[in-house]
Amino acid sequence: MAIQRAQPVEGDQPDRWEAQLRKGAVEMAALASLWQGRLYGLEIIRFLERHSQLALAEGTIYPILNRLKAEGLLTSEWVESEAGHPRKYYSLTSAGRQRLLQMAEAWTSFSGGLSRLLEPVLTNKEKHQ
Amino acid sequence: MTTEMQIDSYLTALRLHLGPLTIAEREEIVREIGAHIRDSVDSGASVESVLSRLGPAEELAAQYREGFLIRKSSRSISPLVLLRGALRLATKSVSGIFVFTCGLFGYSLGAGLLFVALAKIIAPSHTGAWVRDGRLVGAGAFEYGYPPQAHEVLGLWIIPLALTLGSLLLLLTNYLIRTSLRLSQRWQSKL
Repeated sequence: MAIQRAQPVEGDQPDRWEAQLRKGAVEMAALASLWQGRLYGLEIIRFLERHSQLALAEGTIYPILNRLKAEGLLTSEWVESEAGHPRKYYSLTSAGRQRLLQMAEAWTSFSGGLSRLLEPVLTNKEKHQ
Repeated sequence: MTTEMQIDSYLTALRLHLGPLTIAEREEIVREIGAHIRDSVDSGASVESVLSRLGPAEELAAQYREGFLIRKSSRSISPLVLLRGALRLATKSVSGIFVFTCGLFGYSLGAGLLFVALAKIIAPSHTGAWVRDGRLVGAGAFEYGYPPQAHEVLGLWIIPLALTLGSLLLLLTNYLIRTSLRLSQRWQSKL
């Protein structure tokens, strides 16, 4: 890793790849955070911070929620709060639940397969160190 | 600058950059982001840190706008709006360029066929499909009449034929672009 990073062009690639990977996971994570019930934006962000190491720029989650809603996977409602302003709560639609189930299954089988594939790589790394 | 002023100026900038969205959508976004900022500040964060984690208003608005145009055009049936959506798709991927080129081709050919049908009504002797020695030598509307030593094959039948083919082609092109725009949204959300 250290050698790769020393090369200016190729060194950027692992970071960019990781960023892409994170970006792809955020949508599934946002849907998953609503599995138990409705939450508003800030609660979703805190939920993701607490339950996964998915540190994300807060600016990215709102446009994603907006798009998921436009796709019919989420619904939203404004609810008055004790803070003095209403909050926009999101919940999963039945299409959203279905999509999340599909995503979860695909993700689990995909990552399970890859973990087996990567096992020798990581074992080798320990031997080398 | 007070906290309230900082929040207001951020939201004003956001509203400004959300320009192309509908007013209802825009206000809903501004209201939601406003609630996010106030909730975060109420829970003890400094307004500066909250705003920096949200990123510049312009970039936040750009993320909202991104999906909006493609989403809007995928629901339209107007060739112009669809083509604009396809053009946006073309700036993103090679398959987008393909869709845009096919769209342009389909619309031009479709419109051309409709024009031929119309031209046959207005200038029958200048419009038609001509054959010489068993080969098609010209089809369409000609400013200087048809090619020499050729004879016309379709006659007035070219009108319904061109109308049908032209309309079908326009509808097919609409369908192609709409489907591609829809699919692209799904790809985007999976990426």
